[in-house]
Amino acid sequence: MPLEYPELSLDDRVAQLNKRGRFLTTQEMLGQLLEDPGCGPIALVSSFGAESAVLLHMIAQIYTATPVIFLDTEMLFAETIEYQQLLAQKFGLSDVRRITPARAALFERDSENLLHRHNRDACCALRKSEPLEKALKGFDIWISGRKRFQGGVRKALALFENEQDQRIKFNPLAGWDRADIAAYFARHDLPRHPLVSRGFRSIGCAPCTTPVRPGEDERAGRWRGAEKTECGIHFGPQGAATANVVMRDSGFAGDDWQGGFHDVEEIANLPLAETAALAIDLPNDFDATALLAHLHEIDLVRVNFPAFNDGRGFSLARQLRLLGFCGRLRAKGLLADQYAMARRCGFDEVEISPELAARQDEPQWLARANWQAGNYQQRLNPAMQTSLA
Amino acid sequence: MYRYTPFDKAFVGERAAQFRDQVERRISGALSEDEFRPLRLMNGLYLLLHAYMLRIVIPYGTLDSRQMRALADISERWDKGYAHFTTRQNIQLHWPALRDVPDILDALARVDMHAIQSSGPCIRAITSDHFAGAAADEVDDPRPTAEFVRQWSTDHPEFAFLPRKFKIAVSGSGADRAATSFHDIGLKLVRNGKGAPGYEVSVGGGLGRTPMIGKVLRRFLHREDLLPYLEAILHVYNRIGRRDNKYKARVKITLHENGLAEFTRRVEENFLLQATRFDGSEQAEFARIEADFTPPVFKEAPVEGFERALRQDPLFRSFCETNLARHKAPDHAIVTVSLKAHGATPGDASAAQMRALADIAQQWSHDELRVSHEQNIILPHVHKADLPAVFQALRAAGLSTANIGLISDLIACPGMDYCDLATARSTNVAQGIAKRFDALKLEHDIGHLKLKISGCINACGHHHIGHIGILGLEKSGVESYQITLGGDGSENAAIGKPIGPGFGPEQIIPAIERLVMAYLALREDADEGFLTTYRRLGPAPFKTAIYHSGEQINAA
Ligand code: SF4
Ligand code: SF4
Repeated sequence: MPLEYPELSLDDRVAQLNKRGRFLTTQEMLGQLLEDPGCGPIALVSSFGAESAVLLHMIAQIYTATPVIFLDTEMLFAETIEYQQLLAQKFGLSDVRRITPARAALFERDSENLLHRHNRDACCALRKSEPLEKALKGFDIWISGRKRFQGGVRKALALFENEQDQRIKFNPLAGWDRADIAAYFARHDLPRHPLVSRGFRSIGCAPCTTPVRPGEDERAGRWRGAEKTECGIHFGPQGAATANVVMRDSGFAGDDWQGGFHDVEEIANLPLAETAALAIDLPNDFDATALLAHLHEIDLVRVNFPAFNDGRGFSLARQLRLLGFCGRLRAKGLLADQYAMARRCGFDEVEISPELAARQDEPQWLARANWQAGNYQQRLNPAMQTSLA
Repeated sequence: MYRYTPFDKAFVGERAAQFRDQVERRISGALSEDEFRPLRLMNGLYLLLHAYMLRIVIPYGTLDSRQMRALADISERWDKGYAHFTTRQNIQLHWPALRDVPDILDALARVDMHAIQSSGPCIRAITSDHFAGAAADEVDDPRPTAEFVRQWSTDHPEFAFLPRKFKIAVSGSGADRAATSFHDIGLKLVRNGKGAPGYEVSVGGGLGRTPMIGKVLRRFLHREDLLPYLEAILHVYNRIGRRDNKYKARVKITLHENGLAEFTRRVEENFLLQATRFDGSEQAEFARIEADFTPPVFKEAPVEGFERALRQDPLFRSFCETNLARHKAPDHAIVTVSLKAHGATPGDASAAQMRALADIAQQWSHDELRVSHEQNIILPHVHKADLPAVFQALRAAGLSTANIGLISDLIACPGMDYCDLATARSTNVAQGIAKRFDALKLEHDIGHLKLKISGCINACGHHHIGHIGILGLEKSGVESYQITLGGDGSENAAIGKPIGPGFGPEQIIPAIERLVMAYLALREDADEGFLTTYRRLGPAPFKTAIYHSGEQINAA
């Protein structure tokens, strides 16, 4: 752990480092950092891709034993593996750690190596984000090769970032452009990745990378045909949350509940008689019979869906209604296409993040506000609605 | 047959429109691929090895000539001019373009069809006895219940995101042709001591990686309690079914891990709550549905012509011996049309054949067709006097293969031909076996024998319930076929047992031949079927026959 910043928060350190970085060259900044006693352990994470030689070379000039984490997704091009060995040897890097996905997880979730065809996010989580997360345990700072000119969400890249309050992420090449990279390769006569001459500019896993056409965005060849541009290891806390939106049959509205939410465990300790207004948060695997004695005291229950396709929350809503809960029932974590389902299961409203509200706008939600139409269950059993609140 | 109400029509039309909108929103980015996937699955659209695949529902296997013709048109316009009838009483179209799928769904909706809930982690399309309403051994017609449950489960808001897929089958005869013991829920129509209609309810059957026979939760459930009881089972499963491991997510595992007693306790407890939501008004809809299934008026006609043809035409006789089943009206017959011509891909029918079947059904089978889970087509109500004409029409369409119930009437999953998960080819083994036994001219002598082939342990070819099952695996880069014996999908449910090490692709057909020859030598007489002989003698003599020949065996 860092010696000299014992009482500084990660945010403060990041701010300081970003200030320092403005006045130093990339090499100077790297050199300072690697030798700074105020920083904890530092690792370079490298894909050994088209431009990776730059940072590897710089690091090797400073300290050849710097830990280099190489994520082998086991879906890489054979050329990448060769290139990795070539560079490690040529630069004298003595601590290259080849990280592979966990065997058990691989067997469980992608035993046929086909996950990337159906669900690239899940594949990247399995083969990149999770192994990386494990490999980075104990490191204070990690160095990444991202650059602003690579486009997409990287256009607004800072030199240092606070990575989910876990550690600092350093992007020494953030301000470099293509000409800088080319000049560095030329000046130091660095070997090229064998696929570069075949039209690849950004090189990831074999099934998900194609050559880039002239004039295209650097990373256009990655996940071509999907809207995906990042693999998940580079998603930070940005996209800053403003306020959530609440969807009802009448459309979007701001959240009118100002009282805050209590964890369900707290309920036993709350002075219920005096509480004028009470809202609680329920995890979706909660068994509501445990709340039976308190149901009439609660004004609002919010059921949290950890993933939109985890349907347990629908059954929890049904259970709450069956047990006689008649307060407000809110779902959090659903999509527009599920609004009618939520309403039919007894929810009154759905809470939506600003990010989702932007992507799935009000008309898309209102398209499902006619949840009473085409309802087979109600048609079979007209008595049903009256028993729901 | 069930007739769509304006409500059904509006629903199916609306769903097609919703899906059109979802495709547009996927293309615009409003829906990510992760978010779109469950939505397309709910509408029957899979992503397979080469491309998309659309699975169209044929509700409990029933369709009329108008619908069959529409399927023929669709397969010509959007596929390669043929359709594949599957073991789930539905059909699959391969290679549709995503952009065309909404148009296909519209074309289906125009003839009261859809692809809703044919995939994804929801309650799947209900399956039933393909001889329903016709079989001589039928106790009660299962179709009204199947339709009733179809309506209840359609777009059920609580159960669209279950831990895994959920399959319900209904049967109403002594002979269980719907394999209810191998479904997540099996409903058998029974009557109690007072003659009241109800169901025996079993839960947790299934094939796949962990084959299990369903366990009976209720010996008798009143018909009036059916919907709240189903609500309770699904509610409990949705809440406690495992979501951390897809191979442990089916209800059979939930039941196994929690124990029958605990699972039943939870269901019964929840049932009491659920029952408060129902006041019996749903029985009015049941009665309305039942009226739609009133049997047609069967005609009377002399049958001498039929008997003469039987005497005079050996091909016709052989067809009648294998492909007819007993109808409840004694001068009628149930005709099973084989989609297993020797050497063809099991379950495939060309557009021309589908049209021929539609014409035949319209003229001679009260406009009804059925699809069996054994991948054949049924003409449920043919008067015997019309059989010679039906036979000629089938022959003209290349549909008169006389092999129903015989070894070449086998089931095979698509295997490596279409399936991402396959570890071996299966259709070539199927074709090889069919051709070999056709050449030996022994099929009819061998008699009733169910052979089933799966291309991987997911068991879509139902090899666990084949009298002879074949499971294609991969052993260090080469295909290896494992034989199981003694499976039975009928009312005497049993799971086949592996007999020993597997065979390579070159050896599997000779091994099956040795096995069947051994049966011919071992049976007491021509009336003792394979399964009976196997049950009498056990696996030992068959094992010797399979392995003694000294052909080399892939060490397992
Ligand atoms: S880049 Fe493609 S194959 Fe590689 S981990 Fe991500 S999705 Fe999977
Ligand atoms: S059994 Fe295996 S190979 Fe055959 S269709 Fe199912 S998943 Fe595919």
